[in-house]
Amino acid sequence: MGINAPRSKKLLIALLVAVLAAAGIFLILTQKEYSLDFMAMDTYDSVKVSGLEAKAAAEKAREITENLDVNVLSRHSEKSLIYALNRDGKAKIPTEYSQYFNTMTGAFYESGGAFDFTLGKISDLWGIGTDNERVPEEDEIKAALDKAGADKAVFDGGTFTVPEGLSVDMGAAGKGIALDEIRKAYGSMLVRRAVVSLGGSILLYGKGDFTVGIQTPGGSGYMAVLNLKQCCVSTSGSYERYFEKDGVRYHHILDPETGYPADSGLVSVTVVSDSGTLSDILSTACFVLGLENGKALCEKFGCEAVFIDIENTVHVTDGIKDKLEITDDTYRIEESR
Amino acid sequence: MKGKVIRKSDFLIVGIAVIAALCLLYFQRAGDGHRIARVTVNSLLVEEIDLDTQTEKTVIKPDTEYDVVIVAENGEIYFESSSCRDKICVKTGHLSKKGDTAVCLPAKTVVSISGGEVDALTY
Repeated sequence: MGINAPRSKKLLIALLVAVLAAAGIFLILTQKEYSLDFMAMDTYDSVKVSGLEAKAAAEKAREITENLDVNVLSRHSEKSLIYALNRDGKAKIPTEYSQYFNTMTGAFYESGGAFDFTLGKISDLWGIGTDNERVPEEDEIKAALDKAGADKAVFDGGTFTVPEGLSVDMGAAGKGIALDEIRKAYGSMLVRRAVVSLGGSILLYGKGDFTVGIQTPGGSGYMAVLNLKQCCVSTSGSYERYFEKDGVRYHHILDPETGYPADSGLVSVTVVSDSGTLSDILSTACFVLGLENGKALCEKFGCEAVFIDIENTVHVTDGIKDKLEITDDTYRIEESR
Repeated sequence: MKGKVIRKSDFLIVGIAVIAALCLLYFQRAGDGHRIARVTVNSLLVEEIDLDTQTEKTVIKPDTEYDVVIVAENGEIYFESSSCRDKICVKTGHLSKKGDTAVCLPAKTVVSISGGEVDALTY
């Protein structure tokens, strides 16, 4: 034993050191983190990824978003599919994107038209966020409304057909579609954890817990925190893009029924869903519908939501009630009824 | 007797390994508590300032299509002026907390303070 003990001890220690070193190297490599900021889809986007392929994954998110924007979704980009659709009244939708158009069409009908992706002409009349923002004449809005309506668009699973004068606008779904495409790509990459924010629409990817702050409407910072597992989160708020004329504030979320900014008693709706496309679409639809109908719509799609009304009262769907924490005491949670 | 010599060097190896590991951890975490402000233009890092150790006023005029002036002083950083249309970047005000971000979309310029208590902000 006198001779054997030290040798086996030496071996043990050597082994221990080797294992520790290997674990350390593995940990360092997989914890490798990479952040990237970029501008696409008319907003500020940021990606933070950890994992062996952190850098490649962050760049992939940028590539997917920019490609979707320029070549598929933007109605202002001459190279895009939607541009061609609006110009020719017809476009072939590649199979990889057909599910998104199905979701959009479904959401239009399920929401009773509160989500409508054919308001391009009406958005142009208002010009919110551009050099041409103004309050349009009533008859201008009426004329544009007559030509709009997703019920006039037909998607047969392969080809999208729209009547002349109708302008498809992907503004309320595009960021969500990009998040879904990014998640799909990450499925085959060495990504441990990722947080992708496309103008405030968020993909949380990977194991473990995530925290998401909900922007204080009209203020800086956040007023509440959601504790979530991987999912997508999207918010529509009237404080985001707007202009003021003669003391009246006109924001960018238009009610498809009136052609005017939606006025449903809400200032912000945050929707949580496994699908980026749905969270993006439903946040807009709920904002237009208001609290009660918005809640019902979320239930229909199995999504959760946080509504903030004009009186700073916060309404939460049951599924995430215990995951929401108010951090700003000027807001109060509505007691359950 | 032979055993004793080996045991000593073993401790040495383990000791060095532990110190190396601690150093690595330290360098990985160094500055973790500090508020680091980053200015990027078109995704490229232009300037990085430690707001907790910075003592002199820093004026940054990034090379963009617009005339943008960013100032860091007294532990804060902000867009002082910009020739863009909406001036949302200037209206965002002074940034001082981790996770604070101000963006000038037309100039593709972002000022942000790294860290923050939440993983993301939805708006």
